[in-house]
Amino acid sequence: MKRLALARRETPTRGGAPAAFLIGLSFALALGAILLTISGDSVIEVYQRMFERSLGSKDVISATLNRATPMALAGLAVSIAATMGLWNIGAEGQILFGATAATFVGRLFPDLPGPVLIVAMLLGAAIGGALWALGPGLARAEIGVSEIITTLMLNEVALRLIQYLQNGPWKDPDGFSFAQITPRPEQAGLGDIWERAHLGVVIALVLIIGFAWFASRSVWGYELRIAGSSAKTAAYAGISMRSKILGVLLLSGAVAGFAGGIELSGTAVRLNENIANGYGFAGIIVAALALMRPSGVALVALAFGAVQVGGVSIQSIGVSSAVADILQALILFGAIGATVLSNYQVKMVERKVAV
Amino acid sequence: MSHPAVELDGIWKRFPGVIANAGASLTVRPGTVHAVLGENGAGKTTLMNCLAGVYRPDEGVVRVHGEEQKFSSPADAIAAGIGMVHQEFRLVPTFTVAENVVLGAAPRVISQSAIVRQVTDLAARFGFDAEPTRPVWQLSMGERQRVEILKALWRDARVLILDEPTAVLTPQEAVELGKVLRRMVEDGRSIIFISHKLDEVTSFCDEATVLRGGETVANSVPINDVDATELAKLMVGEVESAPVPDRVTTPGDVSMSVKGLKVTDTRGLRAVDGVSLEVRSGEIVGIAGVAGNGQRALTDAIAGLETIDAGTISVMGSDVTTAPPQARFAAGLAYVPEDRLGVGLAPKLPLAENAVMREYRKLRKGPFLSWSAASKFADDLVKRFGVKIGRVDLPLASLSGGNLQRILLGRELSGEPDVVVASQPTRGLDVAGVRAIQRLLLEQRDAGTAVLMVSEDLDELLALADRILVMVEGRIVGEFDARTASRAEIGESMMGAQA
Amino acid sequence: MLAEITITQTALVGISVATIQFATLLYLAALGETITEKAGVLNLGVEGMMAVGAVTGYIGGAASGSPWVGLLIGALCGATFSLVHAFAAVGLGADQVVSGLALTILGLGLADYVGADYTGDARRSHFQDIDIPGLSDIPGLGSTIFSATPVTYLAIALGLATWFVLNRTSLGLGIRAAGESASTADVAGHSVARIRVGAIAVGGAMAGMSGAYLTNTLLGTSWNQGVVAGRGWIAVALVIFGAWRPGRVAIGAVIFGFTLALQSRMSGFGIEFSPILLSMAPFLMTIIVLVVISYRARNQPSPAPAAIGIPYRREER
Repeated sequence: MKRLALARRETPTRGGAPAAFLIGLSFALALGAILLTISGDSVIEVYQRMFERSLGSKDVISATLNRATPMALAGLAVSIAATMGLWNIGAEGQILFGATAATFVGRLFPDLPGPVLIVAMLLGAAIGGALWALGPGLARAEIGVSEIITTLMLNEVALRLIQYLQNGPWKDPDGFSFAQITPRPEQAGLGDIWERAHLGVVIALVLIIGFAWFASRSVWGYELRIAGSSAKTAAYAGISMRSKILGVLLLSGAVAGFAGGIELSGTAVRLNENIANGYGFAGIIVAALALMRPSGVALVALAFGAVQVGGVSIQSIGVSSAVADILQALILFGAIGATVLSNYQVKMVERKVAV
Repeated sequence: MSHPAVELDGIWKRFPGVIANAGASLTVRPGTVHAVLGENGAGKTTLMNCLAGVYRPDEGVVRVHGEEQKFSSPADAIAAGIGMVHQEFRLVPTFTVAENVVLGAAPRVISQSAIVRQVTDLAARFGFDAEPTRPVWQLSMGERQRVEILKALWRDARVLILDEPTAVLTPQEAVELGKVLRRMVEDGRSIIFISHKLDEVTSFCDEATVLRGGETVANSVPINDVDATELAKLMVGEVESAPVPDRVTTPGDVSMSVKGLKVTDTRGLRAVDGVSLEVRSGEIVGIAGVAGNGQRALTDAIAGLETIDAGTISVMGSDVTTAPPQARFAAGLAYVPEDRLGVGLAPKLPLAENAVMREYRKLRKGPFLSWSAASKFADDLVKRFGVKIGRVDLPLASLSGGNLQRILLGRELSGEPDVVVASQPTRGLDVAGVRAIQRLLLEQRDAGTAVLMVSEDLDELLALADRILVMVEGRIVGEFDARTASRAEIGESMMGAQA
Repeated sequence: MLAEITITQTALVGISVATIQFATLLYLAALGETITEKAGVLNLGVEGMMAVGAVTGYIGGAASGSPWVGLLIGALCGATFSLVHAFAAVGLGADQVVSGLALTILGLGLADYVGADYTGDARRSHFQDIDIPGLSDIPGLGSTIFSATPVTYLAIALGLATWFVLNRTSLGLGIRAAGESASTADVAGHSVARIRVGAIAVGGAMAGMSGAYLTNTLLGTSWNQGVVAGRGWIAVALVIFGAWRPGRVAIGAVIFGFTLALQSRMSGFGIEFSPILLSMAPFLMTIIVLVVISYRARNQPSPAPAAIGIPYRREER
């Protein structure tokens, strides 16, 4: 009796991550088109508008860049942890707490000159993010507690922390009947550098490139790669797994926290519970699509930024912006399919294979 | 005369690159304990897997109780009454004994008390306690093995195959096992006992079939009629050793000394049980023994990858018993581990990164590594050791075994070590690769390095080593002068036969 | 802070009812995820599956006028939706964390998209409470604890059934084996793939049911975006908190449900503690429990299914 099964290919088909992404994109657009048609929305109108409003002019491209920035940073954060086979699912919470820490710095020194304050706040954001990852990092390094769960739980705690601050200690007295946090200091804003794109875009790009360069050239990065290979190889090379695990999660948290700081000084005016806006989770998808490589992260984040900005724009023609989320998720599923098929092929084999 | 319980006739089984069984045959009389003897790689386990439905033979006939069978899966074999206890147990650690026994063969609705009772009764029939409510993770290896046997009995196996069963047992447990097997035989079942240990075979079994090189060289020899030496000769063969090159060097001072080493492995067993040895400069000491007798734990412990329960290790006079691996390397101890890609090398990383794995700390420039120095290191390695590599930046995983070993050995040798410990250095290599690695080891010896080499290939040891130590069950049980010892002598020692 | 707690009869009744309702909500989703994880699959898509169940359950219930239909449709849609994860994680052997998160994003997106026309819609059907004769007549608490919507009784029944299947049937033994040591289950004759896909689908059905319960009874308003509001994540936490055992998960559901119920009533009791900080409790408690479990796991096996998250592919030889 024959059945379908996956058999490993001798040599994987070439193309790698970019090809998988493009296949995923095509898959998503195709399925999205079906969904739109079933609901009675015009596929052409929707896709056209999404494209025009995200990549069609300098103005919207700059908005896309803004949107892509925190996702790229979150993607970087996730890939850093992934070099050791660790999952930082808590990027969302680290973004939130990083932004919270930056806000704290801003409240502490509201009168510092702009550039100084920005640096201080961004530093605070990075430290905040690292702190939020400290618990999970220690727990994983010392006791082997699953970092997937601990970082995930802290997402929800960070969110509620901001809600608490929003309704209590940091409430804006000028906020009329809304509960909102006082705005960050004005001079702490990252100014626009091109159309609507703020300085954070450049900072993020520099960080990603810089990190990729540092990881490939430094001793630390090298040791990380060895440790990520296998625990026994790490022992053979004399590398301490525990310190590497902790270090990697702290750094991952710091980068995610930094993204929160960038958002606070960039697009946001004040700390609010939506400041992470799903970027942390999107970052995981971005990292997965980029096969955990920093170079791919920037490009994939850009694509997702375009999809999201496009998604917002279709609301004015009466279509829910949720289409963007649907497309993003479908891109991932399509890419998973493509990646698996590049490593395996579908064959007909005998049932209950006994070779 | 009733049918044989099992008849395997002319079984051929090929895998890519190797012929595991070449027309092997086996006849087991009902109600007997039948040994299947042979060295590693002789084809014993493969043959039994054909009987147990794990593999399908390419050619040949399998008959159970006189009826021809074609098994397409283990389930078919089980249905025909064949049960197998593998060397690696397939148990769920968090389940109780009873749950493990009935898994996959349980009634729709399970009453705990009922299965507990049934399992207890089943075990009692064969003379042992089942402890059905104990979780398996708490059990010793011997107890776990009994659970595996119960599994087979639960499915009413008429023929039980045991693959190297005493490898994981204490002597006490082995005796207990023997009793259980006797009860099973009295119950009319048949046992097939795969082993390489002659003393066990003589005490447990009624008849023996010997395999060598995938073929059956002796069929159903009654144990009482033959002595251990003859069996050993059959297993090991009367092969002319290759002419030994004249040894020009005479060993110098002791370069590495190991005293009273005891190591416990991850399964909780004593893998190395009081090993003491010395390796002198300018000599190759070989460690012979069937795989699984503690050789890996020994070399890992010497290199610093395993924690030691007792004993000392010293290299060039300095005590390295508690030193981390890189300190041992700096003291002059190089290690070529058995597991090339899992321990010795990082398969996803390129050559240069692998090449500096042991000495990268010397190449530090502040927080960075000097990659130009690393590149040069890698290039030197490639030239010196003849590594065939296309693009230098590709991950290592794509290279052939021979190249990987050249890289690994080359990297270890580039530290100009005084002692080289090599575990199965030529395993899995093609002829050219084997020659190259052997030549490198001989060169090291001639240059005064002390070499400790573990190998499953007795011929290789006879050709290269000056002295050969035989390791059985974690202890050194024999020492031979490689120039004068005969293959048969060493083979017997490896099989655990009393010399 | 807690000095002046005033408890009135009605407040107590109110909070008890709410506790049971939230507990039901959480338990349904968590029980499904427990089954899934017991079989060895991590499904982080619970929030998304609940959203799918919420919107389809609402539409179904509103259109038919019967909350039972809503519940059924929610369950079916949740199960179907979960098959995406089943295909990716089991069929293709893709990473379960990524696939599950993508499922959440997809589910939330689909729910928002499909439900866009129904936001703010005021129709909804709801369940009538069922009394247990005798017990419900106990004055005060009796009418609250022992008269619950049928969904609560259903949840209890499902919990008992799950316990029975997992611990007293051959199928359950196979499910647990698939989650602890997939190769052992395979060799013993169970189809790991079929067990896992089935477990994912059951998990999806129950998460969908939970979502449908949300929009058919629990809320005072109709369906809208973000209705699940993080309770899917609480359910994921609950599975761990309950150490993957249906009974303990139920107890945890009541505890977590109580914190949810308390949050909007704290001022009513005169408690001056921030309800928002209280809402962190389930997550923090879960972390603590997990740390304790992991710490104990140094000497004895962890209650977590050993094979969880690891794709199983039979070795071809």
